[in-house]
Amino acid sequence: MRTLSCSVCRSGITLLLGLLLGTVALSAHHSFAAQYDADKPVTMTGTVVRIEWTNPHFHFYVNVKDDKGAVTEWAFEGYPPNMLVRQGWKKDVSLKPGMTVTVQGWRARVEPHLIAAREVTFADGSKLTAGPPAGTGGQ
Amino acid sequence: MKTHVAAWMAIAIAVLSLSGAPSAQGTTKAKPAPRAANGKPDLSGIWIATGALRLMAGEAELAAARKSDIDEGRPTPRTEPPPYKPEAEKQRQYYLDRRGIDDPMARCLISGVPRISFRPLPFQIFQMPDQVVFLYETHHAFRVIPTDGRPHPEDVEPSYLGDSVARWDGDTLVVDVTAFNTKTWLIGVGTVHSEKLRVTERYTRDSYNTIRYQVTMDDPEVFTKPWKAEEIFRLRPGERIREYECIENNEDLLRIEKLLQNESVFKRPSN
Repeated sequence: MRTLSCSVCRSGITLLLGLLLGTVALSAHHSFAAQYDADKPVTMTGTVVRIEWTNPHFHFYVNVKDDKGAVTEWAFEGYPPNMLVRQGWKKDVSLKPGMTVTVQGWRARVEPHLIAAREVTFADGSKLTAGPPAGTGGQ
Repeated sequence: MKTHVAAWMAIAIAVLSLSGAPSAQGTTKAKPAPRAANGKPDLSGIWIATGALRLMAGEAELAAARKSDIDEGRPTPRTEPPPYKPEAEKQRQYYLDRRGIDDPMARCLISGVPRISFRPLPFQIFQMPDQVVFLYETHHAFRVIPTDGRPHPEDVEPSYLGDSVARWDGDTLVVDVTAFNTKTWLIGVGTVHSEKLRVTERYTRDSYNTIRYQVTMDDPEVFTKPWKAEEIFRLRPGERIREYECIENNEDLLRIEKLLQNESVFKRPSN
C-alpha cells in the first residue's frame, strides 16, 4: 500500500513539475485561442448534414434544433485526417450524413455558428475524440 | 569447448538482463538500445515527443509514459523560461496578448528547429553510416544531416529549418543547426529569434523506447544566455508517417484575416 501511494504521489509530483516547468506546451489547432473562446464550452445534439475530410482540419455540419423548433446548421472543426485515424476514426464509416450526434466543443469568437469540436458522442453511446482541448494562446 | 563458452556467455547475458542489472544511469532496462553496424547507437525508428502524446494518443498514454520514466529513473525533462532580453520579451508578450493569432503555423508555414520536434505528429529517423535523415509528418518536412565531419556549406541561405551538420559525442548525436530565417517561433507562441540563432540538438538513445533530446538555442541578439529545453522522444512501434497537406482547406486563413480587422475580439483584455 505504501509503495502504491508513493508511486501515485511521485507521479503526481512529476506531472505537476512537468506542468510548472514545461513550456513545451502543444497545440494542434492553429491559433485556437485567437479563433475560439475557451470560456464558451458547448454541447450540442443534431443530425449530421455533410462531412469535409480535409486538411489541416476536418469539418462536419450538423442541423441543430433550438428550443423553439428552428433548425440551424452549425459547423464543427477538428483534427486533420492523419490525427483522426489515430483517434480511431474511419472516413465514410464513423460519421455519416443522417446520423444523430452530440458534440462537445467551444464556440468561435466571431462566427456565430462555428464550434471547435473536442468529442463526438454517437447514438450507441460510443465516443471519439474529434479535436484538441481548448488552448489558452500560450502554446 | 567453444560451444560451452558461448552457452555460458548466453546464460550470463540472460541472467544479467533478467536480474535488471542497473545501467550507468541506475535504471532498469528490459531491452537495450540498439546499435548500428558501426557501433554507434541507432536512432532509427518512428518517434513522438512525450508532451505530444496527450493529443496523439490521449491522457492515459501520456500518464503511462511519465510513469515509465519515473520507474526507470529517467530525469523529468526541464525547460527553462526563455531568457529573453527586455526588447525580445516585449515582442513575445505582444504575441501572447494576441493569443497566438500571428502563429506562422496557422498559415501552414514550416515550423523551425526545435519547434518541429515537439509537434503532435510523429517523425521518422533513418540512420546511415554517413548521414541521418529526419522525415517529419508535420509539413512533410525533411532534414538530411551529414555525420561524416563535413562543415556547413558556404552557399546556405536563411531557411525555416536552417542547415544541419552532426557529429557523434560518445553515444550522443550532436546536431549543429545554423542559417535560420526569422519566420519561425522556437517553441511556444512568440518565441522569436534573429538570424544569429544557432541551435545545438543532442539526441541520446537512453533506452530501447526513448531518445533523450536536449536542445540549446543560442542567439545573442535576443537572449541574455542560451535557452535550454529538453524532451523525451518515444518510439512508436506500429506507427507510420502519414500525409498532412496543410494548405488544402485552411479556413484559418480567412478567419484570421477577418479577426485581424477587429483586435478587440481576439486580443486579451488589457488590465
